[in-house]
Amino acid sequence: MSKRSILVTAFTSFFLMSCSEQTDVPEPLQNGLIYCSEGNPESFNPQRVTSGTTVDATASQLYDRLIDYDAAQQTFVSALATDWQALDKGQRYRFNLRKGVTFHSTDYFQPSRTFNADDVVFSFRRWLDIDAPYHAVGGGFYPFFAATGLDQLISDVEKVDAYTVDIVLTHPDSSFLANLATDFAIILSKEYAEQLSEKDQQRFIDTLPIGTGPFKFVSFKKDYHIRYQRHEGYWRQGPDIERLVFSITPNANKRMLKLVTGECDVIPYPLVSELKSLNREEIEVRSEVSPNVSFWAFNTERPPFDDPQVRQALSYAINRQAIIDTIYYGNAELAESILPPTSWASTDAELKYQYNPDKARQMLRAAGIQPGFKMDIWAIPVQRVYNPNARRMAELMQSDLAEVGVDVRIISYEWNTFRRRLSRSEHDSVLIGWYADNADPDNFFRPLLSCAAVASGSNRANWCHTGFDQILYQAISTTESAERKQLYQSAQQLLMQQQPLLPIAHSMRYQAQREYVKGVELPPYGGISFRLAGKEQPAQ
Amino acid sequence: MTRYLMTRLFYFFLALLVLSVVTFALNWLFPGDPLTNMSGIRVGQVGYETMLASRQFDSTVVQQYLNYLEHIVRLDWGLSLSTGTEVWQDAATYMVVSAELVLLSFLLAVLIGMPLGMLAANYFRHNIDKVILTSAMTGYSIPVFWLAQLLILLFAVQIEWLPITGQINPLYAIDSITGSVIIDVLLSDSQYKLAALQDATLHLILPVLTLSSLPSMLLLRITRNQTIEVLQKPYVKAARARGLSQQRLLFKHALPNVLQDVLPQLTFIFGLMMANLVIVEHIFNWPGAGAWLLKAIIERDYPVIQMVLFTLMALILAINLLVEVYRGWRFPMTREERYGGY
Repeated sequence: MSKRSILVTAFTSFFLMSCSEQTDVPEPLQNGLIYCSEGNPESFNPQRVTSGTTVDATASQLYDRLIDYDAAQQTFVSALATDWQALDKGQRYRFNLRKGVTFHSTDYFQPSRTFNADDVVFSFRRWLDIDAPYHAVGGGFYPFFAATGLDQLISDVEKVDAYTVDIVLTHPDSSFLANLATDFAIILSKEYAEQLSEKDQQRFIDTLPIGTGPFKFVSFKKDYHIRYQRHEGYWRQGPDIERLVFSITPNANKRMLKLVTGECDVIPYPLVSELKSLNREEIEVRSEVSPNVSFWAFNTERPPFDDPQVRQALSYAINRQAIIDTIYYGNAELAESILPPTSWASTDAELKYQYNPDKARQMLRAAGIQPGFKMDIWAIPVQRVYNPNARRMAELMQSDLAEVGVDVRIISYEWNTFRRRLSRSEHDSVLIGWYADNADPDNFFRPLLSCAAVASGSNRANWCHTGFDQILYQAISTTESAERKQLYQSAQQLLMQQQPLLPIAHSMRYQAQREYVKGVELPPYGGISFRLAGKEQPAQ
Repeated sequence: MTRYLMTRLFYFFLALLVLSVVTFALNWLFPGDPLTNMSGIRVGQVGYETMLASRQFDSTVVQQYLNYLEHIVRLDWGLSLSTGTEVWQDAATYMVVSAELVLLSFLLAVLIGMPLGMLAANYFRHNIDKVILTSAMTGYSIPVFWLAQLLILLFAVQIEWLPITGQINPLYAIDSITGSVIIDVLLSDSQYKLAALQDATLHLILPVLTLSSLPSMLLLRITRNQTIEVLQKPYVKAARARGLSQQRLLFKHALPNVLQDVLPQLTFIFGLMMANLVIVEHIFNWPGAGAWLLKAIIERDYPVIQMVLFTLMALILAINLLVEVYRGWRFPMTREERYGGY
């Protein structure tokens, strides 16, 4: 055998060996799970962001909260706090903390003590107290807490003893516990923060995270993957899998392909109709009723959108049923209000803004808008639960509006630029949406349309109405359900009159996975959780 | 030869200099602040003022350019606007990642293209020649992005043999030390080296196949045409008349002369591969310089764009220089062809 033919044989046999059917799956693949996420997280601390991508990658994986919300039972359940009680007529909440909860031990931090009240005080002060040493780290901006007004509501966080913490409120608020159970109210390690301060490396607190959650952080390669390792000694039941990888795959088609080839075990935002048409039995598509709304918000600071009549007229011009059929393939419900029908505060309102181009045209002329009026629609460049394809939606609306003599330009920047310019209110109108963080109906109103939310940037309509704020304030000051329902009903009526935004759809939330994946939870509120994730049988 | 070498080197550095002027000018042509584009430090950020002074922005443009040149020579390309890390530090791994892909593809292209080309020439106008030439034409006409989709459909979706994204299954937790996945696996202390190596090889197949398709078809055609031409030369006929075997004739006598004309084409092929590299890396999520460049363009990360553009072009120039020098040394008459005798 000549030297050359030996080489050829070696090459061929290696190639064949590689291609041959694998009989047993190597251990790392058996005990690991790949989730193909849709984008890069902005930070590894959910306190600092509101984007779903970041929440998915951090909140339920790396951290725990004081209390959790059990959607099935519709109650709050204990997490890092074992129990709690309201004191001083609901102005002080006392939390008894769990003992023996360990923080992650990694190559950049080894904890010397377990979780205690100092960590709770530190974590809350970080966003609450502008003088706290870590408040300014990473920009000093905590949008969720600003938008829900939690930073105004809590006047102090006091350590009573090593395992007891009091949270003092400025006034009783029935949405308080619901906000505490959200993905944003996570607990950081004070000891880690102190170590970083000594080394003058404060910025690492959000890039090399330490928490108490079911997984610990291993590494992050931007645009490629995030690696996690199971947190051994997690205080409650943890995952079966040892390793978790978020493989970053922004392209929806590629995500689907990777699920088909088995390179992903679970994917978010699947192309449902296409996946179903593939008809593969090893792939499961799951859906969950989800508290979200997509809407078309008018920038009410800009004329002529400061005129309610113009906003109403434009709302009549949109054929929303066509949008539901085309963009959501019918997997969504036409939104009558921003509050989803599944909420306890929802009422059967009749659909006011039925598609009616003639009426829209009349009203526009009455408001002094001439044919040929030009406006922008900003469409988010990413897929969201509430809006799988905003650009396409904008195109449908463009043709609807052309019918009534409005000339629409569609604007869609790269996501980071888009958010930055949106927060500078450079838009005429925007197609965006909201995903509820907790079960309280307040979560749909205050973060989206209160005056406080104008300042914090989550009120995309820039709409500030004192009467409306008054109603919301009354609604959170009482715990009486019937009274609150009444108040939210009047709030919704006021919204229909004023129409700072046009609600479009309440969408189902979808996730596709290989059939052997078990325990990947899609909680109705908040991000995905891999706490109980496992594989039923080894992958083939 | 020395004089030839010096001339080539002179032209090489002249081209680099012109290239650097272009990238320097890009700082002004890109939107935004020139200093930000150059150094990656945004207006108003800490260190902007000192950077302004250290880059001599208070001085003349010529002075600024010389300063810029000095930074390039020190490989200081500033900070990435999207990650804030040093561009050159990131670049090293990205470059090696791409180098692995390009080298393997190039090797495959040579292994496929040249033998098939000679085979076709040997059977000039026979059926074998026609079959090879037709398939080469077909392969040559398929755009890379389309070919990639076809291969994915066939090998990943229909028969489920091959993975389609990345260098290796991320669950193997192989740290990227050098960037070359094969070397990284061998260096790692993973217990599952063999399985990881196998997985990495499977991940390599589709991108390498896609990237090598166009170069191999090109090489095939060039080799075929040159061989046909050489085989018709009088000295081959003379050799054949003396009873040399066809095999000996091909490899011993024709091949060196064929190589002489194939070599300069390699530069062209290399440039072509660089262009396709961006597409292939993007499609297969290959964490290399091409995909990095594309992302930098989308994210308007100007320091990265500059660095990658300059380095890729400098590489093409360097390959060109190497090929020319080798050719000048190995085939002295090509020197004469160009420079008439010295």
